[in-house]
Amino acid sequence: MIISAPFRDRNPRLAVIATIVGVGLLLLLTDLFRVQVVHGSRYDSREEAQSLRRIRIPSARGEIIDRNGVVLANNRPSYDIVIYLDQLGRISKKTDIVKIAEVNLATLSAALHLPVTLSDRDVRIHYQRRRPIPMPVWKDLHPDIIAAFAERADSLPGADLIVTPVRQYPHGALAAHVLGYVGHAEQTDEEELEHFYYYQPDSAGKQGVERAYDEFLRGAAGGRTIRVNPSGVNVGEVGERKAAVGDRVTLTLDTRIQKIVEDSLARVSLKAGAAAVVLDPRSGEVLAMASAPTFDPNIFNPGVSKEKVNAIFTDGRSPMLNRAIGSRYAPGSTFKPVTLLAGLETGVINPHDTVVCAGEMKIGTWPRPFRCWLKPPGHGALDAMGAIRESCDVWFYQAGLKTGADAITKYATELGFGLPTGFELGRDLAGLVPTPTWKRVQKGERWWDGDTAQLAIGQSFLLATPLQMACVAATWANRGTRWQPFIVKRIENPSGEVLHEQQPEVRGRLSASPQNIDFVRQAMLGAIQAPDGTGRLAAVRGLTVAGKTGTAEFDTREGRINRVWFIGFAPFDDPKVALAVLIEDGVSGGHTAAPVAGQILAGIFQKNLEPVGGVATDAD
Amino acid sequence: MQIKRHIDALTRMDWLLFGAMVALAAGSVAFVYSASYHGPGQPVPNYYKLQMVWFAAGLALYAAATLIDYRVICQWAAVWYAMALGLLVVVLLVGNRVHGSKSWLGFAGLGIQPAEFAKLAVIVAIAYYLFHRTPEMRRRWPTVWGSLALVSAPVVLILAQPDLGSAIVLIPICFGLMFVSGVRGRHLVIVIVLGLAVMPSAWFKLKEYQKSRLTVFLDPNKDPLGAGWNLNQSLIAVGSGGLTGKGYLQGTQNLLGYLPRTVTPNDFLFSVIAEEKGFVGSACVVGLYAVLLFSGLRIAAHARDRLGMLLATGVVAMLFFHVFINVGMTIGLMPITGLPLPLLSYGGSFVLASMTALGLLQNVWIHRRVY
Repeated sequence: MIISAPFRDRNPRLAVIATIVGVGLLLLLTDLFRVQVVHGSRYDSREEAQSLRRIRIPSARGEIIDRNGVVLANNRPSYDIVIYLDQLGRISKKTDIVKIAEVNLATLSAALHLPVTLSDRDVRIHYQRRRPIPMPVWKDLHPDIIAAFAERADSLPGADLIVTPVRQYPHGALAAHVLGYVGHAEQTDEEELEHFYYYQPDSAGKQGVERAYDEFLRGAAGGRTIRVNPSGVNVGEVGERKAAVGDRVTLTLDTRIQKIVEDSLARVSLKAGAAAVVLDPRSGEVLAMASAPTFDPNIFNPGVSKEKVNAIFTDGRSPMLNRAIGSRYAPGSTFKPVTLLAGLETGVINPHDTVVCAGEMKIGTWPRPFRCWLKPPGHGALDAMGAIRESCDVWFYQAGLKTGADAITKYATELGFGLPTGFELGRDLAGLVPTPTWKRVQKGERWWDGDTAQLAIGQSFLLATPLQMACVAATWANRGTRWQPFIVKRIENPSGEVLHEQQPEVRGRLSASPQNIDFVRQAMLGAIQAPDGTGRLAAVRGLTVAGKTGTAEFDTREGRINRVWFIGFAPFDDPKVALAVLIEDGVSGGHTAAPVAGQILAGIFQKNLEPVGGVATDAD
Repeated sequence: MQIKRHIDALTRMDWLLFGAMVALAAGSVAFVYSASYHGPGQPVPNYYKLQMVWFAAGLALYAAATLIDYRVICQWAAVWYAMALGLLVVVLLVGNRVHGSKSWLGFAGLGIQPAEFAKLAVIVAIAYYLFHRTPEMRRRWPTVWGSLALVSAPVVLILAQPDLGSAIVLIPICFGLMFVSGVRGRHLVIVIVLGLAVMPSAWFKLKEYQKSRLTVFLDPNKDPLGAGWNLNQSLIAVGSGGLTGKGYLQGTQNLLGYLPRTVTPNDFLFSVIAEEKGFVGSACVVGLYAVLLFSGLRIAAHARDRLGMLLATGVVAMLFFHVFINVGMTIGLMPITGLPLPLLSYGGSFVLASMTALGLLQNVWIHRRVY
């Protein structure tokens, strides 16, 4: 060894000692090199892993506004009192955090006259899992309490006032079913969970636009990186990425029309539910969509009692259900224009043929006669116009039998029956158009003439949602174009950049001749404007309203009730509004639903609220 | 003339050895400060100031140990040894308990640890003892027993405190001295084998924390939040320092308290240096110790007589053992024992003992035979 050489001549044993020392120091040096240089980065990441913590900061949701810029959903500040458990003084093994927190909470509670609602377990879990982030004690406090807190803040160690965004629906229950509501996000992205040591969840849309456009509304979570000491106490901020506010969603909805619709529904004494949809027949834009009974989406905010929320969820009338898109009903007589069109198109019905209604008629081998809604002696002689105007069932039994189920279902489908509408919210129910094949497969039964007769008056197995019926009304209104209904007009990011602009889309066209379509429209005009029209209560002074009433019998456990309908559009020559009104338990379409429609139309046109512009291209 | 003799001595001093000592002392003050610095606005304990006081006091001892002829000092070997044993007995009777062991005399912080001075006394005593044995005698067993007897008394007393590290460090000193003095290798091997045979029974005499330190050394992840904590945190500190370190006062492992606050300025000062100055810093530290140790060995080789050679060897053995154990434990090469790093670690007694030891080295060098 070189290092031992100088010692060898004097004392060979000193050389041995020198060798030991040299080898020892070299060993230290190489091991230091191994730890610090070769594996340095590994220890670096271990150092970070134990002392750096990433905290997720939830973002504020984007606004929802109506077509005129009226805010339907935004955020308001919630003033919360929190305590920082890691600042309650030094916690040793002997002193229990729960005890310390209890003392502090008691002081706070006494100072603010608020009861403590946190359990020992809440405190312990928060302390163990989320130590450096504040633990909420009271949320959404009244300004008086905030003032009281601010006065004493210095003497309340570890407590702080923080402001968090809370979803707010300034118009309360208005358009609740369309807007939806928010709650805590249930499922969190595994990958995100791993990324953040302390996860503060977002709120997530649970229904309506809040849910369907959650991806845009929710924004992007931010993050803070802090350094903690071995006790998990935050000792400083390393970095922060601000949370990005969510995108702004503009609806086609007009708050004023929505209000009119909801007020009109509210005036009906409802035994069950109701729904109404108002569309612009020139584009498919939804101007209003209401479902009754309704709820106030603000109740899902923190600070509202759980009983209130539970009351909504356990209400037998299902206030959370958006009946306009989430329930299917037999359309009843509102279907009759379809049968008429099919008859005219196939040529089996002449507009001027008359049929005598005796109040009932016998069909095939069925032992009991098929009845008209008007008891014998019935309507007497009626032509096609009269049949629609007075909604004569016997006329349509005969028309249906002549036309045949195939032709009726063909035109029903062209009008959108049995097809998804393409609407963004909810499950987009298709409804049902029964056919002989469908009946054989589904019911294992042949198709009788009676089925055709029932189909002709919109009963049988026919089902449609109020939204679908509004689309049918819109298609009649615009003479045969089936627009896709939509409610989200535009999405903009916080810097105003348009991310999405919904253009009206055509989903189908009626293949019928314009003359026949016009004839049906004229018949529908008569149903409202004529003094003996079933829908005369929907008439509005100074406005030409066309439409059709419907009354579909429905058996419940409590007995037979009437699903009553009104579909219609106005003004007749240049329709700007099409609508459908459904009331789950009414007297008849003409008696119960038509007046509601009349109020809606009156409200819209008397205040000149109808959407401006002629065609879809300048619908804005 | 006395004065002239001293000036003459100064010209004959090993200035490289002195320089390395001063460099280590300066580094000590700087990093004791850093080790007790816990972030802006936080009060810094005055350890670094006390350390400067210790160095000042140490310089006086250093001068004395340098200038009083080592042969005169060693004539009093029996007295030093008796004083050391006396203090070790006194500390057991009236000492203060610090971190579980009764090793302090006087007020904690300002007191002294007799064990540190006992190391010096053992070096002087055994060196003097071996110096007085003829070469013939050194080749026989009685010399071995005599040396072992001299080392056993302080070992037993220090173990009783208990301070395992300081007790163990005496043994290689003793063996180093016997080895260099010419005791037969065969005898040494037999003693070592006998010693190893007794080891298992000694294991049962160890306190629980001492056992856990040793087992943790074998597997640091066995108990990462308990006994393995210090080792793991020290490894992370040293490793995360990388090549060039995080910068002075920037060592987060120390700042945030991952390195145990109470013992960092003493036992884990090297971890702080390694974290803040990286491999470059650690290599400088090892380099400075290399200068000390090889200067010491050169001094041993050039000593005027066997006594000087033995003294120098004993000092080198003591310093080397401290350096190797302390640096080794910060990177898991050695078990965790409370052995301080000579000159760098905070602590009055060992600073004074180390400086006295280095003074003795200078002393031997000054009185070397010049050809």
